[in-house]
Amino acid sequence: MIRFVFLAFVLAIPPAFAAAHSKSAGTTPADGATVAEVSELSMQFDAPMRIISVTLSAADGDIPIERETGTDPVTVFRATPLQDLAPGSYRLDWRGMAADGHPMQGSFSFTKSK
Amino acid sequence: MSGLAPIDTITVLAIVAKAAGTGAALLAMGSVLFTVIFASYADASVLRLARRIAIGAAVAGLVVLALRFGIRAARISGMGFEGAVDPMMLGFVWQSPLGDAAIWRGLGEVSVLAVLIPGLGRWIAVAGSFAIAGSFAQIGHSLGDPRGALAIALVIHILAAALWIGALAPLHRAVGVARGAGLLHHFGKVALYGVAVLVATGFALAWMLVGTLLALVSTAYGLGLLVKVLIVCGLLGIAALNKLWLVPALGAGRPGAKRALRRSISVEMIAVVLILLATASLTTVTTPPVNL
Repeated sequence: MIRFVFLAFVLAIPPAFAAAHSKSAGTTPADGATVAEVSELSMQFDAPMRIISVTLSAADGDIPIERETGTDPVTVFRATPLQDLAPGSYRLDWRGMAADGHPMQGSFSFTKSK
Repeated sequence: MSGLAPIDTITVLAIVAKAAGTGAALLAMGSVLFTVIFASYADASVLRLARRIAIGAAVAGLVVLALRFGIRAARISGMGFEGAVDPMMLGFVWQSPLGDAAIWRGLGEVSVLAVLIPGLGRWIAVAGSFAIAGSFAQIGHSLGDPRGALAIALVIHILAAALWIGALAPLHRAVGVARGAGLLHHFGKVALYGVAVLVATGFALAWMLVGTLLALVSTAYGLGLLVKVLIVCGLLGIAALNKLWLVPALGAGRPGAKRALRRSISVEMIAVVLILLATASLTTVTTPPVNL
């Protein structure tokens, strides 16, 4: 019984270990946000992330974007849309590789208001 | 479900390739260790089989390693299968921890081929086995913090698993040969320590990567790990049945003992394949709770 209680106690304590995978720490525009102006698309990560492919898509197809960030591992990724965005919903999908070599992918969405 | 990545065709391929690569690595290491640890207990034909499996597994491991490079390049590229042969993508994979791990694993698997050389060759193969075990600590979830503790626990866990997995086919063969019962009995004694080490290090890894009971039941990684542990429990049950009942029955020359023990070891092999697939899924499409 004592042993069981000790085990339960040990299991209940979360160890304070850091992450091996890099993970998203925020985006611009914020995921799910409605914004009036989209001058820049950016993503922040808590550890270096190599962003390999990135696509901005709307309901009627992909929007060309210009990457400011290359394919080296970064904690901040920046890109700009090459055309003015019409009002509507947009999604940015990315693929890449975390610092530990793990293939990663993610996306965030936002709405451009009139 | 938190911490579950999207699963597409390439991801499924990545899981199967990882399971095959891990299986080949464990077989190569385990067969070499078997020939060293049980050299004086095993019949010549049993040792010959272990050496042959070591060679086959090492060669298969090298082939799968090359395939995994292509699969990973395809996964990170976003181009689908075209990415598998894209020099830039392959370069990114080579620069990643998979590149470091591949050097260790590749050298280890080539060294295992030396098991065919009498005398010194066996020790080159043993060194190769340790290099393969070390390669597992070069990559993936074991790169988290605390790095040292995760790496040591994982390497020992891998070696203990290899010892068990590499012994299955030679033991299956030993059931029908002279001195077989003696070898099986001795393996049972060694395996007791092996299993204790396997469970202890598995528990340590789980605590470092999962952390809480809540995370164990509420995340994709935790639930996947539970599935793996369930299959391991089944495997331990079969192993206990062999040790306590079937091996003594074989030693006593009871009718039907040979067939029952062979079937039991075959079931163990199937369980091992399921464990490898569960582990590969766990480390490919889920994120450990401590990283969420």
